[in-house]
Amino acid sequence: MSSNSSTAVSDARPARITRLSDTEWQATAGGLLLGEADASPRADGRLFLSVDTWEEALFEPLARAVLAELPGPLHTLVDAADDTSLDRWQRLGFTVARRELTFAVPTDPQLTGLGPVRPPIGVTVLPLGEAALAPLRELDGAVRAEVAAGPGWETMPAEVIPLPPGDTVADPARYAVATDGDRYVGLLRLAPVPRRPRIGLLAVRAGHQRRGIARALLARVLGDLHTAGVTTASAEVTATNQAAVALFEAIGARRTGSVLELTRP
Amino acid sequence: MSTKSGAIETEGTVTECLRSAMFKVELKNGHTVLTHISGKMRKHHIKILPEDRVLVELSPYDLSRGRITFRYRS
Repeated sequence: MSSNSSTAVSDARPARITRLSDTEWQATAGGLLLGEADASPRADGRLFLSVDTWEEALFEPLARAVLAELPGPLHTLVDAADDTSLDRWQRLGFTVARRELTFAVPTDPQLTGLGPVRPPIGVTVLPLGEAALAPLRELDGAVRAEVAAGPGWETMPAEVIPLPPGDTVADPARYAVATDGDRYVGLLRLAPVPRRPRIGLLAVRAGHQRRGIARALLARVLGDLHTAGVTTASAEVTATNQAAVALFEAIGARRTGSVLELTRP
Repeated sequence: MSTKSGAIETEGTVTECLRSAMFKVELKNGHTVLTHISGKMRKHHIKILPEDRVLVELSPYDLSRGRITFRYRS
């Protein structure tokens, strides 16, 4: 922990910038908290920053105080529609590394076209809450290892993060799985976000891909949501993942925005 | 309503998602404020939708503006 501090001139008065801990900074003036900055490490090693200030003039000095004390590369996320924030970070040397698309996914089979979709021969889809924990853990571990050995987690949407070795399945009730005989070969994790559940992870084990298993998982989970009265789910997809973008757009998913991951060496 | 180092925090309900990642939030006292999502929430990828119940920190300079610092689960 450090207690480094410096002074910056805000619009109204001099502000004191103080490092509160290894990951927290704040800017104060006259007893008012005018700005906060935070650094959060991800399990994949990326360090993500956030800076919030009430005065435009304080953003840059607070951010520079953080940048001066942290090793690169550093990352942050901004809404692609937020030109002001994007400009602030770009002035500090950040560039766009990745674009993540947000989709609103309909659940009505008449809109998704998934009503008649069935799993390929020999494959069964178990709905949310029916997965057995041991084979689910095994599949989750295998999928994570395949991502780590292949495209890497840094190419994935921000919330799909690798967890430390060990049990990475916090709640098996959130998973629908595809089974091929006794073996689990695909999964869909659904986060129970109010009014718009989020498809947090959709993955099929290598060797079983391109058989329609992901569509079958979506058909089951979205169909069940529709039956339960939920009209829309959400999903995030990295813009360069053309297969995933095509999958969601083919079922009528609508782009609702995008988030930019910015990086500074 | 509570305060954090001089800032006022209060609950509200999101009534509208605007362009440029801004949101209109109706506070418990009936006032509507223009807000943006905090960097920490953005970093943790928390999405905001109309009807979400949220915690808003009001600007010490302009009580008609604020930032959303928390989204309640219901």
